[in-house]
Amino acid sequence: MNQFGTILKFELLSYLKNKTFLGITIFLVVVIAAVMFFPRVSGIIIGGKDKDSSGQEIVVQDEESPVMAILAKDPVQTKLVYDAFSASFPDYRILLPTDGLSDVKEQIISGEIECAFVMENLTSYTYYVNNLNMYDGNTAIADETLQNLCRIDALSQAGISQETAAEILSLQINHETENLGVDQAQNYFYTYIMIMVLYMAILLYGQMVATNVATEKSSRAMELLITSAKPASMMFGKVIASCLAGIIQLVAVFGSAYLFYNINKSTWGNNPIITSLFDMPLYLLVYMLIFFVLGFFVYAFLYGAIGSTASKVEDINTSVMPLTFLFIAAFFAVIFSMSSGNVDNMVMKVCSYIPFTSPMAMFTRIAMSTVPFYEVAISIVILILSVFGIGIISAKIYRVGVLLYGTTPKFRAIIKAVRKA
Amino acid sequence: MKLELTNIEKSFGEKEVLKGISFFAVSGEAFGLLGRNGAGKTTTIRILMDVFPAEKGNVLIDGAPINYNEIKIGYLPEERGLYPKKKIIDQLVYFAALHGMKSKEAVKAADYWLERLDMTQYRNKRLDTLSKGNQQKIQLITALAHNPEIVILDEPFSGLDPVNAMLLKDVVKEEIAKGKIVLFSSHQMSYIEEFCSNIAIINQGEIVLKGNLHDIKHNYTRDKLILRSDREYEILSDLKDISSRTETGEVLIQLDSPDRKREMMQYLTEKYDIDELKVFEPSLNDIFVEYTGGEEKGGEKE
Repeated sequence: MNQFGTILKFELLSYLKNKTFLGITIFLVVVIAAVMFFPRVSGIIIGGKDKDSSGQEIVVQDEESPVMAILAKDPVQTKLVYDAFSASFPDYRILLPTDGLSDVKEQIISGEIECAFVMENLTSYTYYVNNLNMYDGNTAIADETLQNLCRIDALSQAGISQETAAEILSLQINHETENLGVDQAQNYFYTYIMIMVLYMAILLYGQMVATNVATEKSSRAMELLITSAKPASMMFGKVIASCLAGIIQLVAVFGSAYLFYNINKSTWGNNPIITSLFDMPLYLLVYMLIFFVLGFFVYAFLYGAIGSTASKVEDINTSVMPLTFLFIAAFFAVIFSMSSGNVDNMVMKVCSYIPFTSPMAMFTRIAMSTVPFYEVAISIVILILSVFGIGIISAKIYRVGVLLYGTTPKFRAIIKAVRKA
Repeated sequence: MKLELTNIEKSFGEKEVLKGISFFAVSGEAFGLLGRNGAGKTTTIRILMDVFPAEKGNVLIDGAPINYNEIKIGYLPEERGLYPKKKIIDQLVYFAALHGMKSKEAVKAADYWLERLDMTQYRNKRLDTLSKGNQQKIQLITALAHNPEIVILDEPFSGLDPVNAMLLKDVVKEEIAKGKIVLFSSHQMSYIEEFCSNIAIINQGEIVLKGNLHDIKHNYTRDKLILRSDREYEILSDLKDISSRTETGEVLIQLDSPDRKREMMQYLTEKYDIDELKVFEPSLNDIFVEYTGGEEKGGEKE
């Protein structure tokens, strides 16, 4: 146990002193900081143009505002549309040009005017714009405004006063949703982020463990290590150290995210994605940690064992490929189920008991659906047993693997050697 | 203390690597384990160090099975290598700690050995900034820093310049004088002859010769004479049937039996002007080649 502690400390310090490790961590924290401070900073830069205003009627308009042109044949209609659009498009400076359509088109192309509505009548128009933006919602707003206009017109013709008509049209239905289980939409983002984190962490750290072992072997430090320490201590020390390093990195990244969020909470307002992320319930965080650690162990042990069979660091990539593919397949099964909205499908149910897939599958089901506790417990118990089983087998492969030099041994040869050891 | 290996057998797959190895070594003595490449030396050492178990046989200390928690072993592997990118002092402390030293003790021991081997200036350098010979000295420290009862040195002199070889010789002598068991494995026979009182030669997994080196040499049939003279060609033609010229320019004379030594010596000294004349004793090199040469089987990678 003493030996294990020594190895754990040495390996962990190696991670923490590693320049790449530090670099990546600092880079991630900086990226998070940039994202979290973005609304505050952009608010300062954009400043005067900010649309945020207390009353909808008060509109900040200046020479900088984009220009919208309205052309209609009937002057009464023009006035009507002008008034309605002025209310609906507070960001625009609305002009009623007297030039012909072709002049307006030219002005649109030259950028003097951003867009133009050419009215046939109240229920039909042509929208002119130079480059149609992906998120251009002007026609939708115009449609709604015109619809309202026509309806009020129709109602007032039927003898109902304009005020009553407006009241009828603006009638709002109030509704509330009482969710007895889990709100998928709300949980989607953080489940997605957590699965991504788990995926990245396992691939990254798994590779690191494998490379670490192969480096020791190729530098022949292994010759001394195996005569100085028990293979099981080596394996467990390395894997647990990498797990701790991973958790430290995640705590640094997510901790700083949480900190920066709290500093900038006011500027984020009610952004649904961000708020849902930081409102993650505690029990999910605990499950996240459990599945993260166990899933990490399952793969890190295997990566370590595979690393021990490679003689050169260059061989690692080919050797770990089957394991990486298995993991990627598990990842995609989960991601597809998540986007389909049905996380309790048969594949996911089966996957939540297989130790290679359960960390992602079961966690997703817990987060996005309601899973009976006993199912979660069974899944965790299977995972814990698998971690120990895989850990012991990996230590055995490691013990045999580190002494094999030359070509990477065949899988069957390893199994045979392990059974003998 | 007496370290004893009894009848060790080990196979890797179909291949029988060790076929019943037995030998012993005692405190305050250096023991030479010799053998060609692939003879089974490293496998024997690994079994001795409990890297893997033997199929048969025992490793004993004073007659009882060895307890690896009590007996500390220091090892300088033939395949050298530590962590190239790490600070030297960190590595030394790490390996000493793996052998059960507290970190303070480990730092103290590492500093002592750095000083002893003239390496203190490299204490905080990365290993890969050192020359090969200096890296080897660092590796030697990992074998000695935790003050082991048994020291196993596999080709300790390879890659060292004469000054460093001298330093290492002194260190080895000190370790022997401290009452440790020093197990040598080397192909450089001159060093074995210098240090080891007892040897064992392994060939293809079997011990083909073992015992006290002096006795082994002395027990060779003393039926050969070796002489040096300016008139070697006359002697060679005179004793055409029984003489031959060695690579080093001496004349080797094979007698019918050891009893005829005196007679032949008298004859030669009376007839010729002789610079040097003595009974031929084989060097360890000769013995090694005699016992392990011949069959060109080389052996596989251990």
